[in-house]
Amino acid sequence: QKALAGLRRIDLDGLRWRVFDAKGQVLGRLASHISTVVQGKDKPTYVPNRDEGDMCVVINAKDVCVTGRKMTDKFYRWHTGQVQDVNLILLLYIVVASWSWYIGHLKERNLKDQLAKDPTEVIRKAVLRMLPRNKLRDDRDRKLRIFAGSEHPFVDRPLEHYAMPPRQVREMRPRAKRAMIRAQKKAEQQEQDETNTKKGKRRNKVESILEI
Amino acid sequence: MTRIKRGYIARRRRRKIRLFASSFRGAHSRLTRTITQQKIRALVSSHRDRDKQKRDFRRLWITRINAVIRETRVSYSYSQLIHDLYKRQLLLNRKILAQIAISNRNCLYLISNEIRRKEVDWKEYTEKI
Repeated sequence: QKALAGLRRIDLDGLRWRVFDAKGQVLGRLASHISTVVQGKDKPTYVPNRDEGDMCVVINAKDVCVTGRKMTDKFYRWHTGQVQDVNLILLLYIVVASWSWYIGHLKERNLKDQLAKDPTEVIRKAVLRMLPRNKLRDDRDRKLRIFAGSEHPFVDRPLEHYAMPPRQVREMRPRAKRAMIRAQKKAEQQEQDETNTKKGKRRNKVESILEI
Repeated sequence: MTRIKRGYIARRRRRKIRLFASSFRGAHSRLTRTITQQKIRALVSSHRDRDKQKRDFRRLWITRINAVIRETRVSYSYSQLIHDLYKRQLLLNRKILAQIAISNRNCLYLISNEIRRKEVDWKEYTEKI
């Protein structure tokens, strides 16, 4: 119901409906492409004072990936402190991570926890923070519809899939590369040892059955 | 000294200014003192923006050309297009390119393909010269 919420406010329906599949995409790179589409910057009739971006539907928001240690180390922070309820204090105890010297009213939440709680907010924040901060930002926000799963109520419309450009993955740094090769060799040796022993054979048979 | 009234001199001056600000909103077209201030501000911003206009339109043309060029999906961009244009000594400016992009997109693709393809021939061409 929320997805169809503000559709009446968007006037022009010469706009296309683009679908972004976030499965396996890197968060920021996906968000930058979404923001260019939502601003309408991929059209030759771009005008900066009007909002003519296409409607963007993002699916599989919970499968969005992130490089490095951002799963545990990226924090979403916000400041409260105006309302003094009992609820706030309870939330503080539950939500804040182990570091409890954030006294006062600064609350923070892990990327992992945010994905568990509300995965659409991750992409929404990423895209909103990439849009220019002007009066059209809220209208552009209304054009973004994000869904955690792969089902969305806009199936009747003429949808267009957005093909993300291929990603240029940078070559791994030598130390990391060597570590990876060592880990791979270790894993291979462990498999060979297991196949040699009897128990390993039984385990292999069970695994193959399960796979089928 | 005899008494001298100012008469209608100030009124004549202010009438001209009021005519200038006659389409402004609210008190800015009704109250004399604010009218003089608003006229000054309007003229200042028009002077400043006349130079800015040239910049703004060039930005707009560049954005539009970029938008159309990137749709070919070969990882082609505005910067590469301009580089190729300069290499081939094609003197189309951004305004015309943007107009081509809006009205006749295939024409722009034709131009970009022509520019990109003949990289080997260009070397021979320069050697001939």
